[in-house]
Amino acid sequence: MKNNFTIEQINNYAKLLLFNLTEEEASTIQSEFNVIENNMSLINQIPDIEKIEPAFTPYELYIAKMREDVNEESISVTEALKNCSFVIDREIEVPKVVGE
Amino acid sequence: MIKKTIEELHLDLINNKVTPKELIEHSLKLAHKYQEDYNSYVTILENVKETKVTDNLLSGIPYSVKDLFSTKDILTTGSSNALKNYIPFFDATAVLRLNEIGAINIGKTVCDEFGLGGTGTTGHTGIVKNPWNKFHIAGGSSAGSATCVALGITPYALGTDTGDSIRKPAAFCGIVGFKPTYGLVSRYGVLPFASSLDHVGVFTRNVKDAAIVIDQIKGSDEKDMTVIESPDLTPLMDGKVKGKKLFYLKELCNKDQYPKMNSSLEKTLETFKKTLDKIKNLGIEISEESIDKKLLEAIYPTYFCISCAEATSNLSMYTGIIYGPRGEGKSVNELMIDYRTKSFSPLIKRRLVIGSYVLQKENQERFYLNACRVRRLIVQKMNELFNKYDGLILPASGGEAPLIERENEILTNEEIILEDHLAISNFGGFPSITIPNGFINGLPIGINITGKVLDDANILNIASAIENTMDYRNQIARGDLNE
Repeated sequence: MKNNFTIEQINNYAKLLLFNLTEEEASTIQSEFNVIENNMSLINQIPDIEKIEPAFTPYELYIAKMREDVNEESISVTEALKNCSFVIDREIEVPKVVGE
Repeated sequence: MIKKTIEELHLDLINNKVTPKELIEHSLKLAHKYQEDYNSYVTILENVKETKVTDNLLSGIPYSVKDLFSTKDILTTGSSNALKNYIPFFDATAVLRLNEIGAINIGKTVCDEFGLGGTGTTGHTGIVKNPWNKFHIAGGSSAGSATCVALGITPYALGTDTGDSIRKPAAFCGIVGFKPTYGLVSRYGVLPFASSLDHVGVFTRNVKDAAIVIDQIKGSDEKDMTVIESPDLTPLMDGKVKGKKLFYLKELCNKDQYPKMNSSLEKTLETFKKTLDKIKNLGIEISEESIDKKLLEAIYPTYFCISCAEATSNLSMYTGIIYGPRGEGKSVNELMIDYRTKSFSPLIKRRLVIGSYVLQKENQERFYLNACRVRRLIVQKMNELFNKYDGLILPASGGEAPLIERENEILTNEEIILEDHLAISNFGGFPSITIPNGFINGLPIGINITGKVLDDANILNIASAIENTMDYRNQIARGDLNE
């Protein structure tokens, strides 16, 4: 089967998602992509599909009730930081953002 | 205790025939006993505290919860290395509500990583095995929640369902799996997979128990604006089903629709048709309906496209900066790339790459938006049918749980439809329940009933009546090994 997707394309998609793929992972995705595109083409075989309004939710969602605008206590700094092991005082430590 | 319903357990507690402490000890003992063989849990809790028994049916009774639900001060991993050491400072609303009424959480169950997957084989702590035969999958993604209920460890467990993640494993494990109407139960605090398809639901060993649990966790939540109100379900289950109308789809249920058919599929369809006869004896009318096969064939790609696209967005929150094991690198970007590269399994990466692909500007119209259009067509068609009928009844799968090493086998187009039709109710937010429907090749299979939005009580009522015509109510896998 002709392959419409290059390894470079697939690695670019991964790059946009902020992760890298091993050669094996990229190769697996490449072989899957043609199958997936073929599968997806079933969607486009529905007659006049372009005339239908897309549905992004199960039904027309509505906000039944707005909450009162009441002050609430926020979480403590200790709680907010407890899952991070790179903390200096009240702040999360990350590498320097501004260049030398 | 493991063979009893929630109401029976409650009566025993009220009458001091058993104490919450004894129930906890019993659940923990079974949880540990079966952990090595079936791997239901990421975390089995220690020092579980007993609660006061009140008038509430769930007080003093243990439960388990899928590891996608945030639990205050309890490890919550999403069955992913990306959160392998994450301890939330808050409870998901569903968990909070159970805890507030005195229900007792004894453990967090294994799922497919972040709920993406339908096998129970991709969690970071290993494969969940079928309680009826450990060489077979339990189904997923809520695999551990299904197995702990099927093994009799706890009488119920919370799960989530984005495509069929409660209803398929329920079928494969021989128990009840109920996904209520979208918005009936708050999703606050549940690690998201695909927000427009994600539902909170429950595994039990009988239909009424499912209604009892949902009644306790449903209802408005200021932290989830998609929640809708509904009356309590349990009081509406009056057992009256005469004159109710169900339909099945001939494209999925008739043998002549399959050019090739393996013996599992053949037995599944035969069992299904026999069950329809029993249902007719209840006075429920059964009709055959037909849907354009092109639309049915589009169910799986539509689900795949929408769920991968939404997952791409939802999983962007995992950076490894404020939680999760910190990656290595000289810049923030490098930290995130290293963390995500090392933490995400190959399956997650594949799904995210596909999600990114269908969302690219040049592909968005023909893939993502067209999938959303097909979603509308399918939901419209179902709503038309729900104007004539109380519900849709179908086999929950095309056969028993596959062998663990054979779960990746390629299916024919027709088989794919039967394996993936449960996603219809995620598209439309329809209430949908799977109940046991016997065994083939020594493994359980199920039937599924789906109804219109907010008609949950009607669907539960019908399912309960059907359950009473069969011998699988409260059944337990490995009952031979239980004490």
